[in-house]
Amino acid sequence: MISGIYYTSYEQDMALRKTPAQRIRLAILILLLLSFPFFASRYYLTLANQIGIAVIGAIGLNILVGYTGQISLGQGAFMAVGAYTAGILTAHYGVPWWASIPVAALFTALVGTFFGLPSLRLKGLYLAIATLAAQVIILWIVTHWKAVTGGVEALVVPTPKLFGVKMNTDFNFYWVIWGTAVLITIMTVNLFRTHYGRAFVAIRDQDIAASVMGIDLFRYKLLAFAISSFVVGLAGALLAHYRTIVNWERFTMDVSVTYLAMIIIGGLGSVTGSYLGAAFMTLLPALITNLGRAMKASFPAIEGLIPFIQLAIFGLVIIIFLIFESEGLNKIWKDIKDYFRLWPFSY
Amino acid sequence: MSRIKTFVVLLLIAILALSACRPQTPVAPPQTQAPAQTQAPVQTQAPAAPTETPKPKEPIKVGAIFDLTGATADVGTPYSEGVKGFVEWLNKQGGVEGHPIELISADYAYKTDQAEQLYSQFVSEGVVAFMGWGTGDTEALRPRIAEDKIPFMSASYSAALTQIDKAPYNFLIGTTYSDQAIIAIRWAMQDWAAKGHSDKPKVALIHHDSPFGQSPVADAKAFAEANGVAFTSLAMPKGATDYVAELAQIEQFGANYVIVHTVSSPAAVLLKDATNQGMKDKMQFILLNWCADEIFIKLAGPAAEGVVGVIPFTPPTSPVPGHKDADEWLKSQGSSLQEKGLHYIQGWWTMAVMTEGIRRVIKEGKEVTGENIRAALETIQNFDTGGVTAPITFTPTDHGGNKAARLFKVENGQWVQLSDYISAQK
Repeated sequence: MISGIYYTSYEQDMALRKTPAQRIRLAILILLLLSFPFFASRYYLTLANQIGIAVIGAIGLNILVGYTGQISLGQGAFMAVGAYTAGILTAHYGVPWWASIPVAALFTALVGTFFGLPSLRLKGLYLAIATLAAQVIILWIVTHWKAVTGGVEALVVPTPKLFGVKMNTDFNFYWVIWGTAVLITIMTVNLFRTHYGRAFVAIRDQDIAASVMGIDLFRYKLLAFAISSFVVGLAGALLAHYRTIVNWERFTMDVSVTYLAMIIIGGLGSVTGSYLGAAFMTLLPALITNLGRAMKASFPAIEGLIPFIQLAIFGLVIIIFLIFESEGLNKIWKDIKDYFRLWPFSY
Repeated sequence: MSRIKTFVVLLLIAILALSACRPQTPVAPPQTQAPAQTQAPVQTQAPAAPTETPKPKEPIKVGAIFDLTGATADVGTPYSEGVKGFVEWLNKQGGVEGHPIELISADYAYKTDQAEQLYSQFVSEGVVAFMGWGTGDTEALRPRIAEDKIPFMSASYSAALTQIDKAPYNFLIGTTYSDQAIIAIRWAMQDWAAKGHSDKPKVALIHHDSPFGQSPVADAKAFAEANGVAFTSLAMPKGATDYVAELAQIEQFGANYVIVHTVSSPAAVLLKDATNQGMKDKMQFILLNWCADEIFIKLAGPAAEGVVGVIPFTPPTSPVPGHKDADEWLKSQGSSLQEKGLHYIQGWWTMAVMTEGIRRVIKEGKEVTGENIRAALETIQNFDTGGVTAPITFTPTDHGGNKAARLFKVENGQWVQLSDYISAQK
């Protein structure tokens, strides 16, 4: 009978997976990830890949917003920087696709740091507006700097190949996307066990107190912007090589808001939450569309209304979830785990 | 812990719904599925009389995504109704050589990622052709459709899509934006000369601030300069509530003709501002296809009078034989083409041209695959759309099917034909 988790050694306290149940769940998850592509149809692979890219993007944003407390509305633009850098490097300069991805991520980190500069003076909503400027400026540059981005026309990226094998099929790129997602997850989880990560959390909780403790706010805020943008740029670069075309309409303000919604619904300051939020925000519209298609067959009379019903359901579900559990899906997941772990004496 | 119970119930519903949708998706690729389906009727028919009872043949699946709730839903909805209407009408007539068309469609709310999801879903359900909608989805799917060999038609008429090496499976039914702008300039030169001027007119192009808007600028500029026409272009800022500043720039430039390439509602605002500034008497406004429609007239009201539009799809107010089937079909449904407007006929005939490709494949006795449909579409020469568009011609090197358009003028709140077909070439 367990009433809680108690540690008897430092190793236990520092471990990422603390209980056997956690380890088993992780093993099941990894097995699922490894076996999924072999029995999934192309549609489900597309969904899985979109979720994978969203997971990377959401983790990136969560590092900044959830862990460090710096609100950013520039997510879409930073993804655009990653996607266009990777695309341009491969299409115009012949850089191999796999090499262009880390370069693009690094460049996005640089751009992110630059647009993170106002964070020294601005907090909360004011910072959100400053990052909104990043969104507008970057997209304006993307659509108007013809010589580099192609301006009007979408940027066509050559088909990525590895040892002569076409990589951009849904099946092959699944491994690239989810491999990266796993790497980023390990990196992020460990980041918040280092003093850098703890400094980020301290800044989020109370920046003045953090500064009194000796944390260089300027340096750590910029570092948070850099790391976050690096990860977000990675998501953008993967997207460029996965779809082999980059067009600006993928990176609008909508995208920034969707990613914010992902991490709020999933759970701020949590890697698991980023996974849950990304999966939720990708699967919900797909699920609703499929329900709509099923309804079309059985209720032909209301066919014209289905798209609007879908919109209403989407909004309603998000509101219900937020009322239901304002700390996000991650909290719900935790409650479920606790419920079973502490059963039958959950109080 | 009732909240957890509720959550588990929600989760169960979600899982059930997902598994309910699952059987719709054939796990086997469409190539292997096709022979299996053709075998089935042979077995059942063999004991009975083989030539009797012409059962409906195997349906041909065509995928479609529409914007019914997104940013362009106002024009996307009638377009989608046109595509669907054509398919229903055609199936009532007996389909394509006896094969009904099964249109698998869904709303994608003008979101690229949803377009990609639906595309891969429909492709794994075995569609052989695809009807898209806007610039965003058409661009994003361009490499994928080339790899999957799925012919694609959408309502995005960007000239970039006619580059055969970059977009080998895209087909355009409408005149490209570049060609529309060139047609507008051509007409402006004729009109200017007809008014007794010996010099060349000055032309300004004001456009939507997006790739869609910028699309015709370079080609229009090159054409104008080659013909000695003074040319300037400027963007309409996003989210602006008036365009007085832009109009002042145009006035300063001294434009005689102003080409407007945007969507209906900003065009209506622009024309209202121009009327208030007294500029409409000094210069002629020429709208390109995505703002030259009934919605513009409704929004602009009296300010729309006298405005000229380059319209590749003949509006219902100028009846042509190609309107007849759609109108009769709509009347049997308790509506009319007048009510649905020109975007309905645009969707109707876009689907009709795609169907013509499928028909040619079946007539030749070939298997209906995307690759064969592409080859069949490329044999289409001077396809008559009953006067709705200029005759459509595709060749293996040119998928821009329509190079000409007519000009219409708003008179008493209706688009009235002004010119015959003007070609962008020659």
